Amino acid sequence: MNDFNPNILAFCCNWCSYAGADLAGVNRLQMPPNVNVVRVMCSASVKPEYVFKAISQGIDGVLVLGCHIGDCHYLTGNHRTAKRIPLAAKILDKVGIDSRRVRLDWVSAAEGEKFQKVVTEFVEEMRSLGPNPMKEVRF
Amino acid sequence: MTRIGVFICHCGHNIASAIDIEKVVEYAKGLPGVAYAGHNLYSCSQEGLGSIKKSIEDNDLDRVVVAACTPRTHEPLFRRACEQAGINKYLFEFVNIREHCSWIHAKEPEAATEKAKKLVAMGVAKAALLEPQEEGESEVVPRTVVIGAGISGLAATASLLEQGIETHLVERGDRVGGLLKDISMVGPEGICSRDLIEALVDDIENSPKAHLHLNSRVKELKGFIGNFDVIITKGDEDLTVKAGAIIVATGAQELQPKGEYGFGEHPAVITQLELERRLGRSGLAAKKIVIVNCTGSRQPGREYCSRICCNASLKNAIRILEANPEAKITILHRDIMSCGTTAEALYREASEKGVRFVRYGLEQKPGISTHGKSIKLKVFDEALDESIDLDADLIVLATPLVSPDDSEETSKLLKVPRDKYGFFLEAHVKLRPVEFATDGVFVCGSARWPVSARESIWQGQAAAAKASIPISEGKVRIEAITAEVDSEKCAACGNCVLACPYEAIEIVDDEGRRAAKVSEAQCKGCGTCVAACHNDAIQQKGFSSRQLGAMIDALARASTEGTQ
Amino acid sequence: MLLERVDNPGKLRFDVPYQMAMILTKINRFVKEGKIAIVARRCDEKAIAELVKRDLLDGSRLELIGLACSAEQVEACRCTDPCPSRVDIGQPSEPVKDDQNFAGMLDMSLEDRLDFWINQFRKCNKCFGCTLNCPVCFCDECLLEEKTFAPDKGIPPGLTFHLIRTVHLADKCVECGECERSCPVDIPLLSLRKMVNRDMKKMFNYVSGDPERMSPLLTTLEGDPMEDDPNVC
Repeated sequence: MNDFNPNILAFCCNWCSYAGADLAGVNRLQMPPNVNVVRVMCSASVKPEYVFKAISQGIDGVLVLGCHIGDCHYLTGNHRTAKRIPLAAKILDKVGIDSRRVRLDWVSAAEGEKFQKVVTEFVEEMRSLGPNPMKEVRF
Repeated sequence: MTRIGVFICHCGHNIASAIDIEKVVEYAKGLPGVAYAGHNLYSCSQEGLGSIKKSIEDNDLDRVVVAACTPRTHEPLFRRACEQAGINKYLFEFVNIREHCSWIHAKEPEAATEKAKKLVAMGVAKAALLEPQEEGESEVVPRTVVIGAGISGLAATASLLEQGIETHLVERGDRVGGLLKDISMVGPEGICSRDLIEALVDDIENSPKAHLHLNSRVKELKGFIGNFDVIITKGDEDLTVKAGAIIVATGAQELQPKGEYGFGEHPAVITQLELERRLGRSGLAAKKIVIVNCTGSRQPGREYCSRICCNASLKNAIRILEANPEAKITILHRDIMSCGTTAEALYREASEKGVRFVRYGLEQKPGISTHGKSIKLKVFDEALDESIDLDADLIVLATPLVSPDDSEETSKLLKVPRDKYGFFLEAHVKLRPVEFATDGVFVCGSARWPVSARESIWQGQAAAAKASIPISEGKVRIEAITAEVDSEKCAACGNCVLACPYEAIEIVDDEGRRAAKVSEAQCKGCGTCVAACHNDAIQQKGFSSRQLGAMIDALARASTEGTQ
Repeated sequence: MLLERVDNPGKLRFDVPYQMAMILTKINRFVKEGKIAIVARRCDEKAIAELVKRDLLDGSRLELIGLACSAEQVEACRCTDPCPSRVDIGQPSEPVKDDQNFAGMLDMSLEDRLDFWINQFRKCNKCFGCTLNCPVCFCDECLLEEKTFAPDKGIPPGLTFHLIRTVHLADKCVECGECERSCPVDIPLLSLRKMVNRDMKKMFNYVSGDPERMSPLLTTLEGDPMEDDPNVC
């Protein structure tokens, strides 16, 4: 294992994954300290622009976590997330940024353990990918 | 320039044991726009809130950031403190350094401290761009709809009527009473169920403000707290009822354990609810009875304890023995859960009356073999550490209550979340029991978890009490996180109209200038439209792209420039 | 050029690349009555479909005169779909074979690909030619003129600028190539658009310019809202 410490941004929906992250905390589930959560009301409010902005500025990975399909607090908000975020990842790939740096997953309010698993795996993956090359790019 | 106050909470040892509070405070002092940074032992205590309010006044602060626990539980408290100190409550930003930091990085104090700094930097960056918001006020329709006329729904309805609140009670069956109408006597006190139901029905029938809809369903629920439109359908007829609050008491159903212990194949293998029906009708001919507790529960796939079956088994065993002292009753169990003062006495009474208790394990479930009418059971008795054989002429399977088959449909209809077993999830088990996260919608009874008749009544009354709050206030405030359109920028492309899950947006023509318009009352504040808009013409209040963009910038900056 | 009466149609030129669809939206807004006839290539036709779907253009007022592009034009645009649904002028030409690899861009390692594009985007002088000449770029004020997402670092504008344009066009680019043609520094924007359009096809079976389908990015997963209500568009 290398000692690179990725800097990761996570968008969590208020109703599911943010609550899932809270639950992970309540249950004292330990995980790497690389993920910084931004609370949004719904994963569907995460603009692809945010993902690009983060990656362009050298943030190593972006997690978007929402409610499971069918459980969206806003009925079908996450249906849009399910399409927008993978597209943003594909676009990054087209210009040479590893699409694994963007991950969409579903974590319910009851899934503290899943939150821990997603975070741990994503941090490991970012560690293996190494620093975001955009860190070194100066426009 | 803003004057932001940053307050870092120790939460006793909860945060301070992993995060170096002093370092975070020092770091916060250097962040742009910060006029004051301090710390509190418990920010949410009277003392903590008092010191925040005092700091606001002493330092002439115009925005407040509290880094503590989760906004999901404590945001209202700090917002109120801000308001009391004269700051619009939407100029408050919450940073979670407990659930999202100290508790999950307990063994890495240095890294946790660094992360806390980043999170605070992000919160401060957002706070600098926060804008005051005015909450809309909305009239509350003084009427409620209770869905489900089981014992919990009946209790809720009776309680609402007692407070003088008009109530529509919607029941899909042709009779009220729910599961309880199949049970003649409820334990542990031995109360007659029919009396219980009839007392409540009496209250309801005698009230001019009650509307009972049998053979009816809720087909559609629209609106928000204070102003719901509920479509109740009966046959081909639809009735729209306006209501201020909704109580969900849709209950649960008994698991039919197909294939387990010969259920469905042998007529002498029945469920506990069927036993209740037979006991209520004519008594029991069977002499040798084996009750198998935890059939279909506390096992992989359905891990939960149904809570009511142990007591029901005990109660029924005693009833059978009272009618027929010669009967031989064995209860196969995995643990007897008969907690509380009265139920534990029930267990003792059953033992004294000769009920045999045999503890089995999940690894070696009892085996069954049938020969004509006679049934043999082979059970590995964990206490004796050997297999025993039992003869039976009736096997009663104590199966758990499970969520109704249509609970997924109900959850979509009412927009309320379910747990993995299909039971409804309330907003917070301790801070907001019987409330859904959706304001104005409440839950009670076995719809949220298997509960006894007694608990169902408590919860029904609790939900009624909560539902009566907005109704007696007469007005509700609407959280100002709705979307708003900058009509100068809007290209009227309709992306937001199509993306909105609530059909809350339309394109309107204002003297030749076409632009999107959000119906505030219909907007739920999800922000789906915001992500669909190409030129940022639609923004969600409190989550604008400038605010979230600033958080991203702050995180990127913290990683390139460090947090020292 | 808006002609109310064509006296000498023989003098009209059809070979000039022009950004017509957006001009149409203006005509639609200010000229309230009457039918509008347009000479439309296949890409114009598709751009018009994208605008009509979004209710930015009244489709019922339009009369399309189909113009088939010449073989040279098809070649110049690397056009895979050159023939309008109705040919009134010109002879249909064969489309070019779809280049799935965009001159080897997808064969490059991620590292080389990033190098390639960074070097391309570094040339950008933020002239907004690509947006102004885009037939489906319909905002009056562009997000990219603000600082929120394209930080004020002057010129070149940085990676976000081009990524955001790419995602905005993902569900509407008709591959007319105006962006690439109008780029003064020759950034191969059409290739980028084409690559993303292939992704849209693979992911959602969606092709821009289809008058029957709304953008999958806006709809639910279950299906197209137009299935339930054909009047959506």
